[in-house]
Amino acid sequence: MAAKKGKRMLLVAIAGVLLLSVMAGCSSNGGSGKKVTLRMIESLTSPGRTTVLKEMISKFETANPNITVELISPPFDQADNKIKTILGAKQDLDVLEVRDLTVSEFANNDYLEPLNDYVKDWPDYATEVDVAKSVATLNDKLYFITNGMYQRQMFYRKDWFQELGIEPPKNYEEMVAAAVKLTDPSKNRFGFSFRGGAGANSVPDTIILNANFDRIDHEDSMFLTDGKTMYSTPEAKKAVDLYVKLYKEGSPKDSINWGYQEQVQAFTSGVTGILLQDPDAIPALMEKMDVSTIGTAPMPKGPSGKAFTATGGGGWGITKYSKHKDEAFKLISFLSSPEQNTYFAQKTALIPIHSTASNDPFFQTDLYKSLLEMSSKPDEFVNLKANTKYPGTGQWGQVAMETGQSMLLGQVSVEDTLKKWDQFWADQRANLK
Amino acid sequence: MKRHLMKGSKVVFLALYLIFMVFPLYWIVITSLKPQKEIFSFPLKYWPSELTFENYINIIKISKFHVYIANSLLISLSAALIVCCIAVLSAYVLARYKFRSHRQVMLGFFLTQMLPGFVALAPLYLLMSRLDLINTRYSLILMYTVGLIPFSTILLKGFFERIPSSLEEAAMIDGCSRLSALIRVIMPVMMNGIAATFIFAFVQNWNELFMAVLFIDNESLKTLPVAMNSFVMKFDVDWGAMSAGTVLSVIPTIALFAIAQRFIVEGLTQGAVKG
Amino acid sequence: MKDDHPSIIGRFQAGFRNSPRGFIFFSLLPTLILVLAFTYYPFLRGIVMAFQNYQLFDLTNVRFIGLDNFKNIFNDPKFKHAAVNSAYWVFISLILQFTIGLTVALMLSKRFRGRGIFQGFVFYSWALSGFLIGLIWKWMFNSQIGVINDLLLRTGIIQERIGFLSDPNWAMTSVIIANVWYGIAFFAIMLLAALQSVPSELYEAGSMDGASGARKLFNITMPYIMPTVITTTLLRAIWIFNDPSIIYGLTNGGPAGSTHILSSLMLDKIMYGGDYGAASAIGIVMIGILLLYTIFYLSVTRSAKMGDF
Repeated sequence: MAAKKGKRMLLVAIAGVLLLSVMAGCSSNGGSGKKVTLRMIESLTSPGRTTVLKEMISKFETANPNITVELISPPFDQADNKIKTILGAKQDLDVLEVRDLTVSEFANNDYLEPLNDYVKDWPDYATEVDVAKSVATLNDKLYFITNGMYQRQMFYRKDWFQELGIEPPKNYEEMVAAAVKLTDPSKNRFGFSFRGGAGANSVPDTIILNANFDRIDHEDSMFLTDGKTMYSTPEAKKAVDLYVKLYKEGSPKDSINWGYQEQVQAFTSGVTGILLQDPDAIPALMEKMDVSTIGTAPMPKGPSGKAFTATGGGGWGITKYSKHKDEAFKLISFLSSPEQNTYFAQKTALIPIHSTASNDPFFQTDLYKSLLEMSSKPDEFVNLKANTKYPGTGQWGQVAMETGQSMLLGQVSVEDTLKKWDQFWADQRANLK
Repeated sequence: MKRHLMKGSKVVFLALYLIFMVFPLYWIVITSLKPQKEIFSFPLKYWPSELTFENYINIIKISKFHVYIANSLLISLSAALIVCCIAVLSAYVLARYKFRSHRQVMLGFFLTQMLPGFVALAPLYLLMSRLDLINTRYSLILMYTVGLIPFSTILLKGFFERIPSSLEEAAMIDGCSRLSALIRVIMPVMMNGIAATFIFAFVQNWNELFMAVLFIDNESLKTLPVAMNSFVMKFDVDWGAMSAGTVLSVIPTIALFAIAQRFIVEGLTQGAVKG
Repeated sequence: MKDDHPSIIGRFQAGFRNSPRGFIFFSLLPTLILVLAFTYYPFLRGIVMAFQNYQLFDLTNVRFIGLDNFKNIFNDPKFKHAAVNSAYWVFISLILQFTIGLTVALMLSKRFRGRGIFQGFVFYSWALSGFLIGLIWKWMFNSQIGVINDLLLRTGIIQERIGFLSDPNWAMTSVIIANVWYGIAFFAIMLLAALQSVPSELYEAGSMDGASGARKLFNITMPYIMPTVITTTLLRAIWIFNDPSIIYGLTNGGPAGSTHILSSLMLDKIMYGGDYGAASAIGIVMIGILLLYTIFYLSVTRSAKMGDF
């Protein structure tokens, strides 16, 4: 009898599901009326960041009682894929977090509303620094308001450097030498927090970029002024040789497959002595390490005695199909005000976007000091415009990872690898519309 | 002598196997009881200097884990239950009757197992969006049910085939309808098969990540795997929270195994096969 | 059994009694509708992309390009490598999972002290998400901060750290270990359920003949549970072949693509390249391989007969 009851319950359940879905189908978003609900999604999610964001949103809602905001916080791993799926299906969404890695794709598919007209009436735009604007701009169109910027600096183990009596390295030659010196596999101690897995391109790209310092096209930073890629020069070969040496003699063998998390974990666990990373790694360092052992220094320079600094960032954009664009921009401008943005930047350990924020005592502290130092010497640390216009920007990390691993394992020569890299970018440029 | 050798090799196998299975669990449990700073301190500690429940308190107080567990239970149990009900019927029919499109139906079921799901995710999202099921638990209950029907049917069909059809024929002579013969006479005999199917379905649902990430937006509707996935951040995996979450997420499944185990045994002992 | 409620169910029952055709139809209906609408329809919508230039980066330029995607993947040495890896990955994982799973199921089918706890340890690995298994094993396998190297060093089994995931000679073995660890429970559960449905009369007859343990296993037990064995091994092979999550989580196909299997390569095309066209083309090839395999497997095992399939 019990089984029969179960059967009937099942039928009721199925009928219920069908009925409810029909009802849900009827009740979707009636008239817009007075109350507006904004749907917003973040990409660089972490539980702590979501809490901060919610706090800021609730302040906004208090100030604007006729607007409610539904924040969607997918796990970091899956966030961009979810955003792409939502956009592809034109599912309700008003505000979204756009990244330097995704802006070109979203703009290309016409998902984003250019914000140029909106910022005209936004007084705080005047104090937003140029770098923050340029990260978010593609073909003169502003696609998002940056919510925080990242720029790498060098973190190193002060105590290890003192032990060996060496100074923090100033250029890449010195950095590799220091890494080799620090390395002592018998103590499970290595010089450099290498990352051969996800995002493996960043260190070789930077070394190559700086090796070609005088010939880089500032408007198209993977290329030289003569239109060739930066991978095609003899300097690039030297730079990559240095990079291979850094892996072979100054880094753990295992790091060929490490991604961001292992790279930072190795540093926080006391396995590696040098880490090149964005400021948003700082909270993890502070949580897990004795802060007095962490030193920071500006990024290493190239042979020219200068270095390019690349600034990355993400921020808030509006979907083209949003029905509440004005309200959406109201939210964005609130979140991007000097007060809110500085608060957000502090909590998430990013660089704030308003020039007024650099006086904030928070960013004068030890772990951020080198970033300020770099920005105070624009002649030595030359800011390079973020180059996000190519379709392959997102794919490049994966290509560089696989070919780079073959090279580091000695399966493919440095020359052949550089040829592949050169080819990849030459193709990108040739196919750009 | 030979007996001793047999017994000896059995013990060795068991010991090795248990180490292989248990060590990862041990490591997760120990990690979940370590203070944050100790998780990555070197040399590795195989026993924490002090046992702490802070990781558990954090994931319940801050991450609201109880909400996710409740969602996952609700979704996984309902989908598993619906799957069993639907699959019992179709498996029974496929086991007992030969009909014209029998072969095609079976092939169709088998083929579903071969389809690489990732290719279908975007169209599926669009479909869910059209049906207005995005951001509802129904979307997951529906998709989990659909995903498991073919396998459950194939599995249950095997169990039905092992039961002589004389059993329900006798019951039908006694005046039972086919359906009631199925429910009253055959189902009790194959409780073990149904229990295995149910467990299997439950566990698959309990662990599913990709559709859950895609279809659910609200914090209050999220499932356990999604919540755990968010402990993986850009530069950091929060292993304290992750290990505590893992322990909590395994408990309901183990409890279910324990309960279902009774069914599996009872299915045999009270079975009408003997009687 | 009296129908004391003239409900819908009652009417259905009356119908079923009279005509098995109606019974067949109504029993299969919910299954067929659901599977067609929510499995086949979205899949067919997705698979069309195999014949299109479908790049997530530029959806304004989606057009049919015939078999170009297939040509491209067949010319890619990575694809061939992944195909060979897939075969290796499935074969080794399956054999280990099955033999260990069967042994465990045989042990568990007898009563002994501590069986409940033992069972818990056998089954819990199945109760973890694929991504979590990748994450946990990746952490444990790490050569610098991972616990496995630490343990092996302390016990003196090894003198030098092993790059379980970074040494191309080890990486495939390591991902297979994680996969075996995960999959044993499936066979243990399914085979245990099958073992318990073996009527004890069969064993009684067997022991009267004085059959030994091994003889009993091969002459009585195995033939009886053969349908389950064939179905589960076939399905499990398909799933192992299709599931990228462990490899994706552990090595992301690396180092230097040495651990890519077809499904992880497909995921790679989606996640990093946004190239749904290539991914769908790989998907179609995968289905083709699986179909051939299934036909082969079923014709080889036909003598043992898996039901009437």
